[in-house]
Amino acid sequence: MMKGGFEVVHATLDMIQPHREPIWDFASFGFPTTSVAAAAVSSIPRQSLENRCINLERNELSDWVEQVTKKLIDDLPAQNTDTDDHHSSTLQAPADIPMVCEDSFPPSLLGDFRPRKTVTSSDFDELQWSNVNGGNDRGLSRLDEQGLSLITLLLECAVAISIDNLGEAHRMLLELTQMASPYALSCAERVVAYFAKAMSSRVINSWLGICSPLINYKTVHCAFQAFNNVSPFIKFAHFTSNQAILEAFHRRDRVHIIDLDIMQGLQWPALFHILATRMEGPPHVTMTGMGSSMELLTETGKQLSNFAKRLGMSFEFHPIAKKFGEIDITMVRLRRGETLAIHWLQHSLYDATGPDWKTMRLMEQLGPRIITLVEQDLSHGGSFLDRFVGSLHYYSTMFDSLGAYLAADDPNRHRIEHCLLFREINNILAIGGPARSGEDKMKQWRSELAARNSFVQVPMSSNSMAQAQLILNMFPPAHGYRLVQGDGTLRLGWKDTSLFTASAWTSHVSR
Amino acid sequence: MYNNSSSSNNNNNHHHQPQTSHTSTSRSSDYSAGGDGEPSAAGNKWASRLLKECARAIYDKDSSKIHHLLWMLNELASPYGDCDQKLASYFLQALFCKATESGQRCFKTLTLVAEKSHCFDSARKLILKFQEVSPWTTFGHVAANGAILEALDGEPKLHIIDISNTLCTQWPTLLEALATRNDDTPHLKLTVVVTANIVRSVMKEISQRMEKFARLMGVPFEFNVISGLNHLGQLTKEALGVVEDEAVAVNCMGALRRVPVEGRAAVIGMFRSLGPKVVTVVEEEADFSSTRYDFVKCFEECLRFYTVYFEMLEESFTPTSNEKLMLERECSRGIVRVLACDDDQDNEGERERRERGSQWSERLKEAFSSVGFSDDVVDDVKALLKRYKPGWALAQPYQNETGLYLTWKEEPVVWASAWKP
Repeated sequence: MMKGGFEVVHATLDMIQPHREPIWDFASFGFPTTSVAAAAVSSIPRQSLENRCINLERNELSDWVEQVTKKLIDDLPAQNTDTDDHHSSTLQAPADIPMVCEDSFPPSLLGDFRPRKTVTSSDFDELQWSNVNGGNDRGLSRLDEQGLSLITLLLECAVAISIDNLGEAHRMLLELTQMASPYALSCAERVVAYFAKAMSSRVINSWLGICSPLINYKTVHCAFQAFNNVSPFIKFAHFTSNQAILEAFHRRDRVHIIDLDIMQGLQWPALFHILATRMEGPPHVTMTGMGSSMELLTETGKQLSNFAKRLGMSFEFHPIAKKFGEIDITMVRLRRGETLAIHWLQHSLYDATGPDWKTMRLMEQLGPRIITLVEQDLSHGGSFLDRFVGSLHYYSTMFDSLGAYLAADDPNRHRIEHCLLFREINNILAIGGPARSGEDKMKQWRSELAARNSFVQVPMSSNSMAQAQLILNMFPPAHGYRLVQGDGTLRLGWKDTSLFTASAWTSHVSR
Repeated sequence: MYNNSSSSNNNNNHHHQPQTSHTSTSRSSDYSAGGDGEPSAAGNKWASRLLKECARAIYDKDSSKIHHLLWMLNELASPYGDCDQKLASYFLQALFCKATESGQRCFKTLTLVAEKSHCFDSARKLILKFQEVSPWTTFGHVAANGAILEALDGEPKLHIIDISNTLCTQWPTLLEALATRNDDTPHLKLTVVVTANIVRSVMKEISQRMEKFARLMGVPFEFNVISGLNHLGQLTKEALGVVEDEAVAVNCMGALRRVPVEGRAAVIGMFRSLGPKVVTVVEEEADFSSTRYDFVKCFEECLRFYTVYFEMLEESFTPTSNEKLMLERECSRGIVRVLACDDDQDNEGERERRERGSQWSERLKEAFSSVGFSDDVVDDVKALLKRYKPGWALAQPYQNETGLYLTWKEEPVVWASAWKP
């Protein structure tokens, strides 16, 4: 019998107690079909989200990108952008039409603002064409001369930066940052405004030759909380991970959780609650919280300790004000007999963990029973242009999701967009990405874990899926969010774009 | 471009030494900048501190310090954040232009973009909204109109020479006053001299509306626009269409600051030659003129003035107002112009070397004597200020000074004055 059923308790969710030993079958990646939960969520379409860029038609900004690249192909060399036909009914993939790439610019500063340089087709490899059969009037009707010129200019800036033509980039960014407003009704214009500013920052940093970040953690955490209140992604991460951890801790008396970036520890009270009230009695819980400042960590630890005490659960907190990839195993106070869970909610607000290879190595050394990983479907690595194209798609989707629910002048929305999303955009486009280092970042952690012999994936259970669905029900407009289970992972996105993927892993040598 | 000298005269007041390669370590600082108005170790006004230090470093040509401070400002600044972040962003732009000697180019680009996206509707919306939430411009209008009406009372033929960029928003109330005051409504000729390029394009629409309004008011009306001047000194009686039997009033709203400093005396002399009954002068209270050869002093004064202005905007508009953004962007152009462009580089275009009321008075006294504002006018201004959020007040100057000051949180921000030959 499942405890708690599907009732949504206001503001908290009961986690679902596993009614039997969870599936620790390393050989299979099958999805459980016997539990009641699975039946209830079977109505969710199982779309594959292989390539996040397929089916762009629902994404407004992606429409613009499509339009503009079509335009760039059609108008060779660049001509008058004045056209009255924005409502093309079909767009064919022009794979065989060569695109012109001019190397020099006319020196005139006072020249027109039309595209003088077209973008190479390789820049748009990832984008695939779809047939827009006049079905998406909403997106297309917002396209206008202004919109097209904004996005064209943005793309040109990105290309200029990618070839180190900083002077030209700076000039174009001066224009762009004056033309787009972050308070616009159009989500896409907001995205352009922030992307332009992020690129301006990068140009200045390039010139300065300095690229370390300067981070105000308090503001970031505050914005993170605001985001948690209006958008389901954080809760999705928390609750699906908690469920996987809960299952891994089944019948274990002494447990240890390492949270690689604990922030305010919003995730853990819900897990503590269920651990404290589980049938076999509460375990002794040790938590290692990692973060940027000892002051913040101590505060978080205090809050969690108080909460655990009220639940009558034995609890210890160890703060480590360092990055996981910069410590060695001796700093982790892991005791013999403790079952270990490592939790990592990835983001682009700052570099939380340090060098990837060291992070991986330490994970291997620790041999956790479960690693819960929540990743943004966005790469921090690769060339600037790769990151630009990927993040443009990602964040325009994110902005769309906020815009679908919040008013244009909502100060909370502005705070989230400015203090959280803009910060991420800034970091991704910065020299060296969020870590601001020349280090080669792993593109996708779950692929890396899968490739390693030391780890095996634990499919997200149907209970986790049920948890995710419950969370979605709390967040309007539910119709916009898309939850998909596949390859043992759970993905939450907006319309057809996956934004976050939750997965779980276990170590071969786990305790 | 600045070379990174290997000099080691860094003041170690800051958290970091600047890295000079792209692959700097990911060491970051928990800099408590207190964004979003949260109290923090560094407190508010971090922008002012960093900016002033940077200006001094530029003056001292301390290359590594300049880089370090520009880096900090770049990381912390945002034109869409709180006041500190905004000031940091716009002043950083000017400092960056100065350091890379690209001020002139930057200013030209910014101006072109602004002009390109400028249209009657957006301009009108912007100024009307600004006047709705702040008396920054309406203060001058009410004071000047009061002085003009009093000086021209009883005259049958009026000629107002309006040198301003407030899109004739000043005149409807005056026209109304003319229409309702006497039995004999005088004939009004309004000659608008446009000095800001950005305004030229919209004057046609404005003239149509003004003519229509005057018809509605029943005031015999003639409207002319003079634009395309390189500089005000080029104006003549003939060019302005000043006729013998007219009673002339010259209305200068933020106009004198657009005259090159060395040309100001001549322009005032030219006003005198028009034989006006009254000259009204309204200017913003800041001194970028006497400090123009001292970069640091000029910078600090510029920062002081725009800090007040930005804070005023912040409190007058909603947080996500596009109009506020437009006004801030307008400021950014002014800031680049004053701080990062050399005066001699420019033959035309808009210099805005503001002067304080006391300084303008010194100049105007050469050709005119001051006229005090009557009690009625002062009452009108007080009534106007009551319509706005608290924080605004009227200040009358000390004994030797002339005019009226609009104050924001007790800081004088706009000066209005009236003069006669």
